[in-house]
Amino acid sequence: MTSSGMRWVLGGAATVTALGVGRMVARRRRRHQPDREGGWYVVHRGITVNRPRDAVIGFWTGQERLDRGLAEWATLERLDDNRWRCVASDPAGGGTEWRAELTVDGPGRLSWRVTEGPVAERGRVELVPAPQGRGTEIRAELRWRSGRVRQLLGLASRHDPDLALRSALRRIKSLIETGQVLDTRHDPSGRSPKQEQATDRIRERLTVGGRP
Amino acid sequence: MKALCWEGVRKLAVRDVPEPTIRAAGDIIVKVRASSVCGSDLHLINGYLPAMREGDILGHEFMGEVVETGPDVRRIKIGDRVVVGSVVACGACWYCRTEQYSLCDNSNPQPVFSEKLWGHAPAGILGYSHAAGGYSGSHAEYIRVPFGDVGAFTVPEGCRTTRWCSPPTPCRPAGWGPTSAA
Repeated sequence: MTSSGMRWVLGGAATVTALGVGRMVARRRRRHQPDREGGWYVVHRGITVNRPRDAVIGFWTGQERLDRGLAEWATLERLDDNRWRCVASDPAGGGTEWRAELTVDGPGRLSWRVTEGPVAERGRVELVPAPQGRGTEIRAELRWRSGRVRQLLGLASRHDPDLALRSALRRIKSLIETGQVLDTRHDPSGRSPKQEQATDRIRERLTVGGRP
Repeated sequence: MKALCWEGVRKLAVRDVPEPTIRAAGDIIVKVRASSVCGSDLHLINGYLPAMREGDILGHEFMGEVVETGPDVRRIKIGDRVVVGSVVACGACWYCRTEQYSLCDNSNPQPVFSEKLWGHAPAGILGYSHAAGGYSGSHAEYIRVPFGDVGAFTVPEGCRTTRWCSPPTPCRPAGWGPTSAA
């Protein structure tokens, strides 16, 4: 084969490879993006708590336990019988603050909307008895409004409402079942401060399952 | 305190590291008297298990003396000689209540990676990479043991420390629990 022919073959192979890799990356990106409905990003997440529904509801009505659970990142103020105001700050210490209004819609049903915050958000939670007497399912739906550019920036700055929801559900389950939430961040190790920062970034990657 | 740290594949070093502190109400701090080497330590050292980081403290088969307890610890007392199971279990989730402790829902603080890798996150394991929670291990002078009431077992008077730390330590509590309950 002439050298010109070889160049065409190599160029063709490179093009096909680039197209294939590009399609694979695009497919993976699409799979990891939340659904869109009328301009809102929507995710549904759930977790099963090994306690009866009344005990899960009871957890939130015990002020002492609630304060202990929220101590690090949020305060609650009661407005009337069914409405609460929540002021929450970024658990990672980024200085971001949200104000939200929570409404109890009925036994085991709660909704909220962010009144002041970096991203317009609203959501609802429903408590459903789990099958085979395995406790209570906490079913959550979260909607947030964010443009595509902002969404990309949000992911880059590690603020992702979906991740925050998943983390919150795990935290709530652990609090209800054990009364505590474990954390191993900055446990003793032989790492230098720089290595610790790199490890923190990798931990975040592990939390998101490798998602950027 | 001194601790044996993983520095990279087949690279270990003894380093000065901060002492552990009580971070949750169910934690206990154990002064390690004996810590043995498990076959799976070799997997970690040789890089066969993912998610090890420079500076991670190895070791998960050990016994020692309790020197500090969290406010919610009831069964274990300061001064107890204990042997500790390497798997961290909360004792309250569905898996723990059905005696499937290695699947505990609440002891692995970063489960998403292993969920993707294996389909279900295992429980946290002391000194066993960040896929198993990123806990510091027992090849150190002190170690923090979460859910101390569930994972630590008091060694009877008169038993030698080294006898109770002979490998595999995780089998000791597994056998001791049912035997003592019988």
